[in-house]
Amino acid sequence: MKQLTRRSLSAIPVFFGITLLVFFMMNMAPATIADAAGAGEASSAAMRTALEAELGFDKPLPLRYLSWLGDLLRGDLGTSYRTGQSVSGMIAQRMGPSLLLTGTGVLAAVVLGVPLGILAAWKPGSGWKRLAGGLTLFSFSAPGFFLSLLSIDLFSVKLGWLPAAGMYSAGVSGSGSDLLRHLLLPAGVVCLGSLGNLIRQTQSALGEVLSEDYIRTARAKGLGEGAVVWKHGFRSALIPVLTTVLNHIPHFIGGSMVVERIFGWPGMGSLLFTSVNSRDYTVIMGVTVVVALAVLGMSLLMDLVYRLVDPAVTWGGVP
Amino acid sequence: MNKHWKRAGALLLTLALVLGLSCCGTPEQETAPEGEAVNLNYGLSNPWDALMPYYSLSGSNYSRIIYDKLYDRLAYIQADGTCLPRAAKSWESTEDGRAILFTLDERAAFHDGTPVTAQHWVETIQLVTDPACGILGQNSFACLAGTNELGAQAAGETLGAEAVDDTHLKLSFKTPMIPEEFLVEYNRDLYVLPTHLLQDIPVEELVTDGFWSKPVGSGPCKFVSEVSGSTLVLEANQDYPLGAPGFDTMTITVMDKANLLTALIAGDLDYYAFGANVSEENQPAALEAGFEVVADEVPSTFYELMLNNTSIADKEIRQAIDKAIDKTLLCQQATGSLGSAATSSILPDTPYAAPGHGSYDPAQAQKLLEGSSYDGQTYTLACTSARSSIAALLQQDLEAIGLKVEIETVDSATLFAGMSDGLYDMAVASHTPTALPLWFTGSRFTQDNNIFQVQELAPYAKLISAVKAETQEQPRMDRVDELEQYLADQVPFVPLWFSASLRIQSKTVSGIDYPASTCCNENVWQWSKAAP
Repeated sequence: MKQLTRRSLSAIPVFFGITLLVFFMMNMAPATIADAAGAGEASSAAMRTALEAELGFDKPLPLRYLSWLGDLLRGDLGTSYRTGQSVSGMIAQRMGPSLLLTGTGVLAAVVLGVPLGILAAWKPGSGWKRLAGGLTLFSFSAPGFFLSLLSIDLFSVKLGWLPAAGMYSAGVSGSGSDLLRHLLLPAGVVCLGSLGNLIRQTQSALGEVLSEDYIRTARAKGLGEGAVVWKHGFRSALIPVLTTVLNHIPHFIGGSMVVERIFGWPGMGSLLFTSVNSRDYTVIMGVTVVVALAVLGMSLLMDLVYRLVDPAVTWGGVP
Repeated sequence: MNKHWKRAGALLLTLALVLGLSCCGTPEQETAPEGEAVNLNYGLSNPWDALMPYYSLSGSNYSRIIYDKLYDRLAYIQADGTCLPRAAKSWESTEDGRAILFTLDERAAFHDGTPVTAQHWVETIQLVTDPACGILGQNSFACLAGTNELGAQAAGETLGAEAVDDTHLKLSFKTPMIPEEFLVEYNRDLYVLPTHLLQDIPVEELVTDGFWSKPVGSGPCKFVSEVSGSTLVLEANQDYPLGAPGFDTMTITVMDKANLLTALIAGDLDYYAFGANVSEENQPAALEAGFEVVADEVPSTFYELMLNNTSIADKEIRQAIDKAIDKTLLCQQATGSLGSAATSSILPDTPYAAPGHGSYDPAQAQKLLEGSSYDGQTYTLACTSARSSIAALLQQDLEAIGLKVEIETVDSATLFAGMSDGLYDMAVASHTPTALPLWFTGSRFTQDNNIFQVQELAPYAKLISAVKAETQEQPRMDRVDELEQYLADQVPFVPLWFSASLRIQSKTVSGIDYPASTCCNENVWQWSKAAP
C-alpha cells in the first residue's frame, strides 16, 4: 500500500510536466485561434486583436498556464473556444464512442493475436508461423488511413455489406445491430493496427521461454505438450504480453485519430484532430489531461498486475 | 493454491478491464424513430463551430451551411448572384439608395411557434451590434448607419435598423447600397434570432449561454441533437413558409473528405456539402457507380498568389512575377478542363468582367526583373499541403526567369497569419467568389486588413470608395475599370484562375439546387427523399 501511494505521488509531477510541455509547445506553434478565425476570408487585424484579448492571449504565457492550472485544480477544464461548450462535456460525449471503437478493436486483436502468437512460437515450422508472419508484416506496413480506405472500398462500395461512415444509420442513436454494423469496419482497422505488435510480442516471449532448459526438463519428464506450453511456457511469457495489452488501454481513451476521422466516428481522436486544426487550446489541453491520466493510471495498474502475475517482480517492474 | 488464484485473478482483471471499457462505451440510447421515418444523411468534411450563428470562430462556410438550416435569412442567393425571396418576400431601395425596405413573410414563425416579426430582426441587430456582446463577425454590420468601423453601435447615434410594422424592416446605410449587392454580400451572415427567448440572458453571456446547446431558430429545420463537431440531427420544420422539407430528419455527419464520395457511392450518404462536388480525377468513379455528374456554369473557386508588397516592394518585380506564371498550364494541371486563367478577381461573365490586362510572357518578365531592384534574394512561398504541387509549378515558372523561390508547406491558419505578419513573401490561397465587383478587393486594402502589406493604401481606398459610392450601372463599371487598371499596374496580388465544380446528382434526393451551396445556402425546403 505504501509502495502504491509512493508510485501514485511520483506520478503527480509527471502529470504536471506533461501538461506544462503540451501547453508551451502548443502555444509556440505558429498561428493562434484568432488567426484561424476567418482564415481564407477577409479577417481584420482589429478583429484578431480583440479576439486575442477576449481569449486572454495578450497575457504572458506562464500566467495563462497558471490560470489554466488553477481552473483544472478546481475541476474546471474550461470552455471550448470553438464551440463555446464546456470541455468536460465535449470529452464526456466523445469518450464513450472512442472506448467502444478502440476497446472492441484491441479486444479483437488480443483474441486473435495472442493465440496466433502462441501457435507460431509453439509450432515454428507450421502454417501458423507463416500466417502470423504475414499478418504481422501487413499490420506493421499498412498505415491506418490506407487500411480504412481499402476496407471501405471493398466492404462498402464493392460488396455493399457494411456502412462506410458514421456510428448509426440515422443520427446519434439506433439499434444495437445498427451500431454493430457501423462498428465492424473501423474496429477491424484498429484491430489490424494492433495485431502485429501482439503477435510479435507473444511469439517472441513464448519462443524464448520454450527454448529454456526447464521446458526441456518438463518435456523430458513426460509432461504433455499442452501442459508444457500453457502451464510452464505461456505463464512465464505473460509479462511482456500483458505489457503490450495494457499499453493499448490509453489508446482506448485517446481514440484513433485517423480511423475516427475517416469513418466519421464521433470519438476523442476526431475531437483532437478538429481542435488542433482550429487551435482550440482548451480542448487540446482537456484531451491531454484525460490521456495523461489514463497513461499514468495504466502505468500503476501494470505494476499492480505484474506483481499479481509474478510476486518476484518489485515495484517498477524490475524482478 | 493462493498463488494460482492470484494469477487467475490478474488475468480476469485484465480481461474484465478490456471488456468493461469496450462495453461502457455504448452511448446513451435514444428511441429510434418509428414507422417510415425518412432520414436524409448529409456529409460534411469539416466541423461547424458553436450553434450560435453569430459566434462562428472559424467564420467558415462549414458553420454557415449549418446555420442556414436552423435559422432564417432574408433571401436565398443563387450561384449567379440572383436573389430569391426567403424570410423577406420582397425588397426595395428607398431614401436615394441609403435604405432598403424589406417586406417580411408574415407566415414565418420560430420553432416554438412564435411568429417572426420585423421587431425580432431589429432586436437581433441591436443585440449583435451591442459593444458588450462578444459576437464574432460584427464587422458585417459596419455598413449600417449608427455603427462604427468595427460594426458596433456608435454611442449617441441611431442604429440603422427599424421595424416599420410587423412585416416591414428598414435597414439604413452609411453610403448608398444596392439591395441585391447587400444581399449577396451580407445575407449569409444575417440571421433572425428568437429575441423573445433571449431576454433574460445578460448580453455579455449571450454567445456562450446554454441556450445554444438546444437552439431555437426559424429555419427550415429544427434542432434535435448534437455531438459537437461530429454529428447533428435536425428534423424538418413542417411549418416553414416556403414549404416543408421532404424528409423527416436530416443527420449531418463530419467525415474525412476522402470518404465523402465513397460513402455516397456506398449509399451511406444521400448528399454531401458543398453541392456534392467531385474532382475531375474522381469523376469516373462516380459515373461508374451510376451517378450523373453535372458541371457548374458559374465558377465556384478563385485562386490567387498573395504577394507581400513590403518585402517585394518594387512593382516591377511583382509585374515580372505576374508575367512569368503560365496560368493556363497551372489551371489545367490543377483543375483539368474546369477552370480558366484569371486576369482579375472579378467573376468572368458578369457585367463588370473586363478583358484581362496581364498575360504569360516570360521574356518580358525576365526583362522586367533585370530592370528591377531584385538582388537575387530567395523569396518564401507558403502553401498548404493540398496545394504543394501548384506551388512547385509556380516555383518552376519563377525560377525560369531567375527569381529564387523557397516553398514552405504550412496549414491554412499559419499561412494567413504568416501573410498578415509579413513573414512570407508569397502564398497560394483560394476563395469562393461572388458576382460583386468588389467581393475580393473591397475589404483587402484597409489599414485594418492589409494582408498584402501594401505601403500606400490611399490610392486603393480612393478607387474602391469611388466604386462603392456609385449606384448607376455604367458609371460604376467605369469606376471598376479604373480600379482594375490600377491593380494591373501595381500587382498587389496575382489572380491565378477561376474553376467551376462538378456536382454529383443525388440518386435519393430530388430538388437540390447544387451550385447555390457555394453561396452557403441550400434550398432544403425543396428537397425530397422518397420513403424507404
